Amino acid sequence: MRWFARRLVFYVFAIWVALTLNFLLPRLMPGSPIDGLLEHLSPAQLAANPGIVQTYEALLGGGHHSIGQDYVTYLHRISHFNFGLSTSNYPTPVSEVVGRTLPYSIFLVGVAFILSFVIGTGVGMVAAWRRGRFTDSFIVPAFMTVSAFPAFVLALVGLYFLGLKAGWFPIQHAYDSNVIPAWSWTFISSAFRHAQLPILVIIAAYAGGWVLNMRTVMINTIGEDYVGMARAKGLRDRRVMTRYAGRNAILPPLNGFAAQFAGAVGGLVFVEIIFSYPGVGYTLQSAVLGNDYPLAQAILVVLSVCVIIANLIMDVLNFVLDPRLRTS
Amino acid sequence: MAQLDPTALDLQLAVPKRGIRIGRIRVPGWLALLLRNSKSRTGLLIVGFMVFIAIIAPLISVAHPNDFNILATRQAPSWHHLFGTTDQGSDVFSQVVVGARRSLLLGALAGALATVVAAVLGITAAYVGGIVDEIVNLLTNVFLTIPAIPLLVVASGYLRARGMWTMIAVIALVLWAFEARILRAQALTLKNRDFILAAKTSGEPTWRIVFGELMPNMISRIAAAFVLVFYVSLLVDSGLEFLGLGDMSATSWGVTIYWAQVNSTVLQGEWWPFMFPSLALGLTVLGLVLVLAGVDEVSNPQLRTEHKRGRLVRLVFGRAAA
Amino acid sequence: MSAVATKTLLEVRGLEVEYGRVRAVDGVDLDIASGEILGLAGESGCGKSTVANAIMQILRPPAHIVGGSIRFEGEDLTGKSNEELRRFRWRNVSMVFQSAMNALNPVMRVGDQFVDMMQAHERISKHRAIVRAGELLELVGMDKQRVRSYPHELSGGMRQRVIIAMALALSPELIILDEPTTALDVVVQREILQEVEALKHDFGFAVLFITHDLSLLLEFADRIAIMYAGEIVETGPAATLAESPLHPYTQGLLQSFPPLTGPRVKLNGIAGAPPDLREPPAGCRFHPRCPYCAPENAALYLRQTTERPRLREITAGHFVACHLVDA
Repeated sequence: MRWFARRLVFYVFAIWVALTLNFLLPRLMPGSPIDGLLEHLSPAQLAANPGIVQTYEALLGGGHHSIGQDYVTYLHRISHFNFGLSTSNYPTPVSEVVGRTLPYSIFLVGVAFILSFVIGTGVGMVAAWRRGRFTDSFIVPAFMTVSAFPAFVLALVGLYFLGLKAGWFPIQHAYDSNVIPAWSWTFISSAFRHAQLPILVIIAAYAGGWVLNMRTVMINTIGEDYVGMARAKGLRDRRVMTRYAGRNAILPPLNGFAAQFAGAVGGLVFVEIIFSYPGVGYTLQSAVLGNDYPLAQAILVVLSVCVIIANLIMDVLNFVLDPRLRTS
Repeated sequence: MAQLDPTALDLQLAVPKRGIRIGRIRVPGWLALLLRNSKSRTGLLIVGFMVFIAIIAPLISVAHPNDFNILATRQAPSWHHLFGTTDQGSDVFSQVVVGARRSLLLGALAGALATVVAAVLGITAAYVGGIVDEIVNLLTNVFLTIPAIPLLVVASGYLRARGMWTMIAVIALVLWAFEARILRAQALTLKNRDFILAAKTSGEPTWRIVFGELMPNMISRIAAAFVLVFYVSLLVDSGLEFLGLGDMSATSWGVTIYWAQVNSTVLQGEWWPFMFPSLALGLTVLGLVLVLAGVDEVSNPQLRTEHKRGRLVRLVFGRAAA
Repeated sequence: MSAVATKTLLEVRGLEVEYGRVRAVDGVDLDIASGEILGLAGESGCGKSTVANAIMQILRPPAHIVGGSIRFEGEDLTGKSNEELRRFRWRNVSMVFQSAMNALNPVMRVGDQFVDMMQAHERISKHRAIVRAGELLELVGMDKQRVRSYPHELSGGMRQRVIIAMALALSPELIILDEPTTALDVVVQREILQEVEALKHDFGFAVLFITHDLSLLLEFADRIAIMYAGEIVETGPAATLAESPLHPYTQGLLQSFPPLTGPRVKLNGIAGAPPDLREPPAGCRFHPRCPYCAPENAALYLRQTTERPRLREITAGHFVACHLVDA
């Protein structure tokens, strides 16, 4: 239990660091932060957005006080989920924009990343168990090669060959333009079809890492005495591979899951942009390019929190899967 | 976009002290070791080829790879334009070979900077221990928890100018944690070895032990960690450029891909402006990954695939050949 | 204490095992009669454990059997199908592994590790299997509630008892003990071996006891085989070997520990290290370390360095492979 408490303290600390970084970033740049932000805007943008100076001031915690006071105001606002108004969707609150886009992203990256883990560790396990056979000699190098390409390259390749040339998948948006978002069968099936290609791309980008990782750990695990003993006990080969070698080998990759997930959130940004998928990644790019700092900051905070929640889930899972953690 | 978990690579390398002669050329020990492994040999070959292309780029490209030419826009690959032209009529081949210079340089420099930060912080923390170690470890873990790409996207959004050195600094600041974690763990295993304890008892100052004893003994691991962060930087940098958040006036792989994406050339069926720079990028990363995989095999012989060549030969030429 | 050889249970002939290109076991012959304790001794890396794994048929690539035969109750194991071998393991021969610390699956309850072993060999409900696991634990002097424990909750000695209980579960004809007590302290070591002896008395299984500690074998084994660099160099009844060891290597091993009683003597041990099996020495593999191998005796030296000695029966049941004995 103490182990668990320590983890929780760490997560609270990590969120605090993310928030503080968010607060400090605009101030670290030379010059007055507001002038710095306004410098990016064209006269036309300024004219179209009369409230922008106030919005930026609010974002920076007031702007007229000392940095300490600003910081307190800032933390107070964020703790009430008050991220201010989005300047590119003026005067929509940032929380509303994030609330609209976040479910799509969570669906996409959640499904894709879990699938990449399952497929990757599965392949890695079989490859290590049957060293030098087909899976090990051909499937592993194939996964490695594909995963060497960054997510945005894979997304473009998938878009061009599988979407455009072969026409197997829709290539943009989260659902068909003639469908209204609602809990209806038409919407769900449409959303599902649109998610297929982005999910495939994320799996392709990240499964290779799991394959390599799991293969390495599994090869070391196979040398353990308890695997030899399981075979000596006359268990069926498949059972030795899964319940004895694989079951133990999966623990280290599972520990790295959260760190990898943080990486996959980065990949998500690219995939969403290429497929014009209306999630937070797509919104993040347009926010940054459109100088909508309140929105960009909120998305960074939300994504950090998502990663931390993923960490937490993995901790619980680790706790369930490894009895040694429960007693020590 | 780190697709490999750095903890998977236990980079211990037993480098022969003396170099090895191959014919009349003297090869340093570490290189000979890597050349003997088929994976790292292939990787070094790929990376070496890319570096070679980057060096000779001015000789094989047109003088100004970004020049407009409205008479030759959107041309498919041909003898005249090996990789085709962009919608502005620029020669994609020239952009790719000249872009290799900036992409490789930026990746290598950002990787080097991150390595220096990580080596100093990680190794010192591991050696000193106590509260310093706790703090560095905490900081490392926090940086590994905050998603790097969104952080970089927001941070580079605030930048007024996105020159090469700024990008190098920003990328290195976000990526050092990856390496610090590996190097700290490895320094921890080394710090209780006899020669370190001996230096400690003889009253050597901490900085001399860290820089004079630990670091020289970890040089192969630091080098391997550098390779890892090199390719991650390469990916991250091209990624940021792809998002329009780099130095968009420069010539690099990411910038070429960005313009291909912005001008929707993909949707119009023109694959060459994005495919060739992407291929160059992916190939370089694959090369670096292979070098690392080779290092891993050299240091952990259990991972080597047995009789692989024999199997392939048999598969292709039948049993009689093997 | 010599065993009454009722019938031959296990018969190993000319066994050869290679790891890649290294021949770890080179032409080993072994016989075990039912109910007998055969000790197999030698330095680490001499191929003892490889022999055990070959008998269990659990060698993993790159290790593989390249020659010889292993017959169990007259049937050659090398001709059996994978499924037949699977059934053979544990049902006929079970094994207590080298390190008690690592032989149990760390993420499975002790009871479940009994259950899947039993269910691999017979139709038995999980409940029934757990009850039987509890009974077996009580047999080796443990609380039956321990079926609910995870391995890390048990001490080293307890884990070894669990494995012995598992080894008994299907009443096999032969139990292989592969360095069963190396990781344990001396008191626990002795307790466990006495436990095994008592159980053997009740169940009547045969034992192949592998260890580098010859003193243990002199106490527990009926017969002893000495292994060096992948070969058997001497084999005979325990008492004979203790009194009149013929091979210089056996003599060296016997001198590397002090007698429990009697005056203090100088411990000589054996100088040098075991050979690199990638390039074993020509002739007698022991000759580089042999105190009786010197160029002065030219004729003998030539034989020692070029001709491989064969096992020859010196007295009834006492075999040795050494040129000195022939001469």
